[in-house]
Amino acid sequence: MEAQSAAPERSRLDWRVWAVVPVLLLALAVGLVVSSGSSLAELVGTNPPPADEFDIRRVEFSPGEIRITVRNPQPDDLTIANVNVDDAIVPFTVDGETTLGRLRSATIVVPYDWVDGEPITVGVTSSTGIETVEEIPAAIETPQPSVEGFFGYALIGFLVGVLPVALGLLWLPALRQAGPVWLSAFMAFTAGLLAFLGVEALSEAFELQAGLPSSLGGAGLVLLGVALSFLGMTALAGRLTRGGSAAAGLTLALLIAVGIGLHNLGEGLAIGASFAIGELQLGAFLIVGFMIHNVTEGLGIATPVARTRVTLLALAGLALVAGAPTILGAWVGGYTSNDVLIALFFAIAAGAAFQVVVEVGRYVAGNAPGGLRSGHAIVGFIVGVATMYVTGLLVA
Amino acid sequence: MAKTRLTRGKLLAAAAPLAAAPLVGKLALDGEATAGGHDHSSHDHSRSPVSHQRGAMGHSAMIGDEVPAVGGPNDLDALLYPPPALPYKPGRVREYSLTASDVELEVAPGIFFPAWVYNGTAPGPVIRATEGDRLRVSFVNAGSHPHTIHFHGIHPSNMDGVFEVVETGGRFVYEFEAQPAGLHLYHCHATPLKKHIHKGLYGAFIIDPKEPRPPAQELVMVMNGFDTDADGGNNFYTVNGRSFYYAKYPIRVRRSELVRIYLANLTEFDLINSLHLHADFFRYQPTGTGDYWEYTDTVMQCQGQRGVIEIQFANTGTFMFHAHQSEFAELGWMGFFEVVE
Repeated sequence: MEAQSAAPERSRLDWRVWAVVPVLLLALAVGLVVSSGSSLAELVGTNPPPADEFDIRRVEFSPGEIRITVRNPQPDDLTIANVNVDDAIVPFTVDGETTLGRLRSATIVVPYDWVDGEPITVGVTSSTGIETVEEIPAAIETPQPSVEGFFGYALIGFLVGVLPVALGLLWLPALRQAGPVWLSAFMAFTAGLLAFLGVEALSEAFELQAGLPSSLGGAGLVLLGVALSFLGMTALAGRLTRGGSAAAGLTLALLIAVGIGLHNLGEGLAIGASFAIGELQLGAFLIVGFMIHNVTEGLGIATPVARTRVTLLALAGLALVAGAPTILGAWVGGYTSNDVLIALFFAIAAGAAFQVVVEVGRYVAGNAPGGLRSGHAIVGFIVGVATMYVTGLLVA
Repeated sequence: MAKTRLTRGKLLAAAAPLAAAPLVGKLALDGEATAGGHDHSSHDHSRSPVSHQRGAMGHSAMIGDEVPAVGGPNDLDALLYPPPALPYKPGRVREYSLTASDVELEVAPGIFFPAWVYNGTAPGPVIRATEGDRLRVSFVNAGSHPHTIHFHGIHPSNMDGVFEVVETGGRFVYEFEAQPAGLHLYHCHATPLKKHIHKGLYGAFIIDPKEPRPPAQELVMVMNGFDTDADGGNNFYTVNGRSFYYAKYPIRVRRSELVRIYLANLTEFDLINSLHLHADFFRYQPTGTGDYWEYTDTVMQCQGQRGVIEIQFANTGTFMFHAHQSEFAELGWMGFFEVVE
């Protein structure tokens, strides 16, 4: 009896102790490998020398000055020894340390009389003589944070985000008159639209992570973002519907708005960042293109509330949830250069969009006449994708 | 259809992910401020922790302490000032020892080039003899690759440094009569030739004529380049091995004295190199042979070409000299004469 009661007691202590054992052994093994230095590699050959190339993250231009932000993407230390502009050695200063540890960044400041609108190359040479060159297609003054700039990005974000979504919501009175078949077709249209946005954001996320140094990138980063937002949105939908039933009405509209909002955050980021580094001509045509592209997003949000009483305030809230992130994105993109976060943002946008496609799909399956297999649902979805593709050409 | 009424509280809850976005954005901004430094205070230098001050200067003002050049004021004297010329005495033996080795040369501040050198520097030491001297050069290969010494000039085939390749640890004695008078070169002729030359195995070889040249302040300038990232193009250009060295430490000469410069081009990869002197003209004798002198302020040499410059400066002051390929000048091949009375 005594032995029997003692056994479970001991085993309960045991599992915690035993759980620590592999960790301790791993630490020991790590210590051994680290202390062996390069002798392990020498068993099989010779380690190649490090690439000693910098990751040039950002090149900023202000009158009489160029600022180059570099990062060390490799495990070995990297020292900034020399800076060239247009193949000429230039004097420079470094904000911070000149020797960068793994993934550390520093900003190189070069007094330089650059020529507005002309191509320029900057080169940063490591102490081992390896030069990393970045070609800038056109040197233009980098926007500095200012009151006008702040409002300018806000206005651009409003024009390409909030306004078209709000306009699209004005389809609501028309939708209220539409029959159930038309409504479910529009719901399917919304799903197609969101699927398109999701794929677009996913592709953007993969492209961005591929551009990151391998020590920061990886497709797993995208999966992390997608999983975070997909499961976050799933939990949110569960909370809002207080249990299993499919989201409908204002709840569904809100979920769609959040999904679209996260996508528009990425869109704002892309606009702000591309403009800030001189890669994007922010002309009237592009802004108009985004407006037309995004107006259908309002339609998507309006459709689930076609049979629901909603206040103007709620509609305005939906427009803000879906559109205002564009403004935020433009600010963040315009004034920062955290490429890891931007890749993650796009992955988050993709996950949210896909989750809302699932929500809309469940709604259509449960409520639409004929469900998911009906002709109007299928055609609606395809027209949604096609519409986004065609209007997307305006901003390509 | 299970309708869910939405309260304003729920709307706020639903907006939580978006409410978090500004926070994330703020994190991104803060991260930038720490990593990137001082985007917003570029004109407030008192706030910038600058650890690596090199000062602000344009090309024209690139002189003196502000110049990024390696080392102290007399480091390159052995290469700049040749050994003295000896009077004509046929059959006299002149002995030199050259050792090839692998070294890391600091060619520009903080830039280390894995070089192959004779006697520790690129260019190698100046070899000097008078016409008719018996030149005896003992060569030891302490490098990790096979090397030779190939001299320009007139000598037997088995002293040409092409066929007798000296393996690592090996030695060879080159012995021949110094002729003809002029400025010549020596360099490694092991293959791959391009690699052995651009790594630094070359130097100036002066043969003085029977009739001595007029007394002068004599200088040797070997123009070269360093391809530090091994991409088949030079990253730095120098005379005598360190970029901008004579901009940091101008060469002091006298206006009252004749100045003679032995100028040779050992630049790899680029078709030509050149020297341009500011504010004055000089006489130039191609290869340092013959009676032909050119009167100019700019000379051009392909790899292996060389010549003798003679000048008596017209004015005192500081005068720039540099390659008249602007690119080379801005990549290190630029210096100054400081002409005093």
